[in-house]
Amino acid sequence: MGCLQKNPAMRRYLWRFIPTMIAYVVVLLFVEWFVHRFHPAGALLDGMAILPAIPIIGIIVVVGLYLAEEKDEFQRNLLIQSMLWGLGAILSLTSVWGFLQLYAHVHPFQPFMTFPLFWMFQGIATAVLRWRYR
Amino acid sequence: MTCMPKNPAVRRFYLRTAATTGIYIVLTIFIALYFYRFHPHGVCAYLLALLPAIALAGFIVTIGLYLAEEKDEFQRDLMVQALLWGLGGVLVFTTAWGSLETFVHIRHFQPTWTYLVFWIFFILRTPFLLRKYR
Repeated sequence: MGCLQKNPAMRRYLWRFIPTMIAYVVVLLFVEWFVHRFHPAGALLDGMAILPAIPIIGIIVVVGLYLAEEKDEFQRNLLIQSMLWGLGAILSLTSVWGFLQLYAHVHPFQPFMTFPLFWMFQGIATAVLRWRYR
Repeated sequence: MTCMPKNPAVRRFYLRTAATTGIYIVLTIFIALYFYRFHPHGVCAYLLALLPAIALAGFIVTIGLYLAEEKDEFQRDLMVQALLWGLGGVLVFTTAWGSLETFVHIRHFQPTWTYLVFWIFFILRTPFLLRKYR
């Protein structure tokens, strides 16, 4: 990762990505704490529940900005490829889990797990692609 | 949209997508009927639940093949943008739904809907992208 930070677009990407990801975790923990502590209802509860989606919109914007700013076509392609692998993996996983849930009665899939699982798959794909293109 | 099939890569993409989506629908219906009729359990139930993911994997391969075969860099970029919008839509939607499900106790999100949600965001974004670059 050290060499990546020499690239200005990647540096900006990491500077934007890390705080947004931290914001996601903080918002998620805050909402969890707030709901259990104060038991809000109605519109306030709906608003609180939607809050964790806002940093995710931020992360999408961060990725979009990186793809627009990155001059190095190889690096841009690497991120696109790894995201597409992540997308494929998450669609496959949710599809398999969905059918297992319907027919084999496995534990219900929590929809908010899609986001962390996507980034886990994307991370694995990035490592594999970097190893392939080294 | 009518001019797109003149492009051989797009034509192949359409045909492959139609084939994999068709297989996905057929497998989904077959599994539903099989479970309804024979009530399989154990390993057999798990293997059957895995079947639609094969068609999904075919769809991911179809996208990969299109991106590899498409000579027109603009068209390829358009597809990547639409895919990333679909991905972004899925991540925001499932996170919002997941939070609402946890805190507001709305109806459980069936994981198999993720594939459909992806396509809705993908299709909704495509005309805007085409209009933007016309």
